[in-house]
Parts: sequence; structure tokens; C-alpha cells
Amino acid sequence: MRAAKHTDDPRMNHLLAALPGDEFDRLKTDLEPVSLALGKVIYESGEQLEYIYFPTTAIISLLYIMENGSTAEIGMAGNDGLVGIALFMGGSTTPNRAVVQSAGNAFRLRSKALLDEFQKSGEFHDILLRYTQYLMTQISQTAACNRLHSVEQRLCRWLLNTHDLLQTNKLIMTHDLIANMLGVRREGVSIAAGNLQREELIKYVRGTITIFDRKGLESITCECYKVVKEEYDRLLGKYISKNS
Amino acid sequence: MTETTGSDDPIYNRLLAALPAGEYRRLLPDLEQTPLTYGESLYDPGDAIAYVYFPNSGIVSLLAAAQDEAMLEVGIVGREGMIGIAAFLGVKTSSSRAVVQGHGFALRMKTAAFLAECRKSEMLSRLLKRFTQSLFAQISQSAVCYRFHPAEDRLARWLMMTFDRMDTNEIYLTQEFLSNMLGVRREAVNKSAVILQQQELISYSRGNITITNREGLETKACRCYAVIKTEEKSFPVK
Repeated sequence: MRAAKHTDDPRMNHLLAALPGDEFDRLKTDLEPVSLALGKVIYESGEQLEYIYFPTTAIISLLYIMENGSTAEIGMAGNDGLVGIALFMGGSTTPNRAVVQSAGNAFRLRSKALLDEFQKSGEFHDILLRYTQYLMTQISQTAACNRLHSVEQRLCRWLLNTHDLLQTNKLIMTHDLIANMLGVRREGVSIAAGNLQREELIKYVRGTITIFDRKGLESITCECYKVVKEEYDRLLGKYISKNS
Repeated sequence: MTETTGSDDPIYNRLLAALPAGEYRRLLPDLEQTPLTYGESLYDPGDAIAYVYFPNSGIVSLLAAAQDEAMLEVGIVGREGMIGIAAFLGVKTSSSRAVVQGHGFALRMKTAAFLAECRKSEMLSRLLKRFTQSLFAQISQSAVCYRFHPAEDRLARWLMMTFDRMDTNEIYLTQEFLSNMLGVRREAVNKSAVILQQQELISYSRGNITITNREGLETKACRCYAVIKTEEKSFPVK
């Protein structure tokens, strides 16, 4: 596959931005810019990973595929994170599918370059491990959220998470895509989105969701949104804020 | 109450058992035996992770914050793993609750000594990374299991995972406890248990659950059980 190029600064990704200068300089030449189209599969469940991805403007979803083909999102990463922890945790395959949920750019790093730097046990190493802990919290919270919270609350949480990772109020999304993320039927998403639209929090026209009232979404969503946000700040805040 | 373990004591914990003899001997002075008492909380959210625990027997549930102070189980760890993986990942305080769900014994180690050893022992660090991956898979599986599978199938999976980790065919559990484990109301726990009992897979009375048909229970369990088990088996134990 030939990957499209872009000219983003790798430091638009918060984890790369958090690296000390010498560590970043060592990685810099190995960071390959790639543009990712909506729906592109980064890797399949069970597949051997070759690259780790650091999104700058793209959002990548970790989707779980059930044996009957149903899917549900267990986590997402944008400019706040990375995709491919299996590479440095020594598993090299992963039990989930990673798919581009919002088109945009990323940098990818080959397994060898990743491990060379990871094994130096500097801040790159520490940040990657802490991010792993954060992702576990995110997935744990999604488990609880899937069990306990309404489709409408989960939709709000998902829109807020997506909005946090994008630099725009307009999200290119179909109800089908959201249904696959939330693990519900499309009609369920349509009803929930209809409610949010009547309350003038969002507007949905032909595959574009515009967010009008973030505060309103925050007041409807479950506490899971805040729990996961606070965990990110707690685990990674000291690295991120230092350099920004 | 606690005592340092001797080098002749059998090690059932699979992570410790997988260490080369020399590395295990180096850990010994820092390992102390501690009972795991049913219902005891090893960490609560926000607690400093003072110790990490390697269960030799017994089971510990990992719970995520749910709502109104309620917690929901997202993972189970027994002798195949370690409690306190956040410390290994570089975090000083726990974000989840870890509560003993089946009594037994663990070898525990002060976090500082543990981290020092992780820096020295490449094998320990490699095993823990693999265990993190396996726990990660288990938690991911929980996320979809809660979304898609009926309560009685989840109960069957949960019982299978529990019995796999305990050397017994009988466990004691309150409905309230199971209700937190499965994320359903007590009435639904009761209903699920009755279904499994009617199918003669378990017998259930006053909180005592006895497994009467293991194969049947395994068939009843949702596929998550097999997926998690396969992941655990893929561990490079030696």
C-alpha cells in the first residue's frame, strides 16, 4: 500500500509533543507521515502489527468484532494517543480491529524503530506504559458504560470524545457508523440523535453532525466521560503540560 | 500474620513460576505470604499501590466505577497474574478497586522493591507485559460481553473463570456480590442462577454455588470465555 503524505508537525500529537528533545530527535526521521481515509482498516483482529500510529488529525477507533459480525467500539485514539500498544507490550497481535473513524493524518513508526527507543527506558517508555494504563481505564469504563447507560448518554459521550479530538464542530458521521461504534441498531442511534436535535444540542444533516451546545451534551452524558478525561490528566497530564 | 516465603514452598502463581530459578531466588526475600480474605479490598480508587500481589490461590476482581458509588467487574485475576499492574505501568495510585472474590493466598511484594526488580529482570518485565496484554484482552471482552450477551450466559462465563482459578467445585457468593459482578439487579442474578440450575449445570442454595456439569456450563458460557482462555494460553510461560 502506498500511503499518502502530509506536512503536519508530529508534535501535533500530544504524546510525541511530550517527549524530551533528544528522544524526539532520535525518532523524528523514522516517523512516517500518512493520511488516513474514513473507514480504512489500520489492522485486523489477530493480525501481526508492523507499525504503531500516532494520529495528529485522524481519529482511530478500536473496535471489537463479535463472532456474528456485531461490532462495538472499546476505545478511541486521536491526537491524544496512539494505536498499537501490542507492539511494545510484546504481543504483536491484537484482539481488536483498528479502523479510521474520522479521516485525517497520522505518523507511523515501524516496530523496530519503536522498540529501539522503547528499550532505552526514557520518557518515551514511561509515556507509552502510562498510556497503556490510560487505555485500560478507558476500556474498563466503556465496559461499565455499555452495561449501565442509555444509548442517548452513550451517544453524548461518544460525540464529546470525538469533538475533543477534532478541531471542528462538524463531524462527518453516518448513523450506521455510530451504530457500529455503540453496538446498537441504527434506529436506536436515530432516535437518540433525534432527541438531541430537538433539544438543539446537535444538528444532523446528511452524514454531518454539527455540535451546537457542548455544555448541553455534557449535562446529559454519563459520568464515564469525566472519569476517563480525569484519568488522562492524572496519568499523562504532567508530561503533556510540561511541553505545551 | 504474614511470613516470608521459603525457597522450597511450591509456587502456583504462573508468573513467578515462569521466572528462571536465579531470578526467582532474588525475589524471595521480598516476597511475603498474605491471606486473601473474601470481600477484602486490596485497593480502592485513589489508594497508593503499596504492594503488588501474586496470587497462589484465590481470585481478585477488578472493578470500574459505575454510578452512585457502585462498581462493576471488568476483570478477574487469579494465579495466572498479578494485582497492581498499574504500578508496573508507572502509576503510583490505583484508579480501580481490587477486591478478593475467592479466598486464598498471595505472595505480595512492596511496590518499590517490585519496581527495582522489574528494572533488573528482563524476564519479569516481559512476563508482566504479556500479562498486561492478556488483561487488556479480558477487559475488552468484558466491554462487548456487557453489551451483547444475556445475563445467564455471562453468569456461566463468570463461574467458569472463577472455578478455573479456584481448586474447588463450590464457592460462596452473595446475590449482592454477583449483582455487582454481572451488572444486573439482584432479581436478575437470581433468575440467571435459576436458569442454570434448571439446566442442571449448577446447584445454588443460600449463596453456595456448586458446579454439577462443567462441560455443560462451559457450553452455556458466552464465547468470551473461550476467547479469554485462548489469550491466556498464548502466554509464553517458560
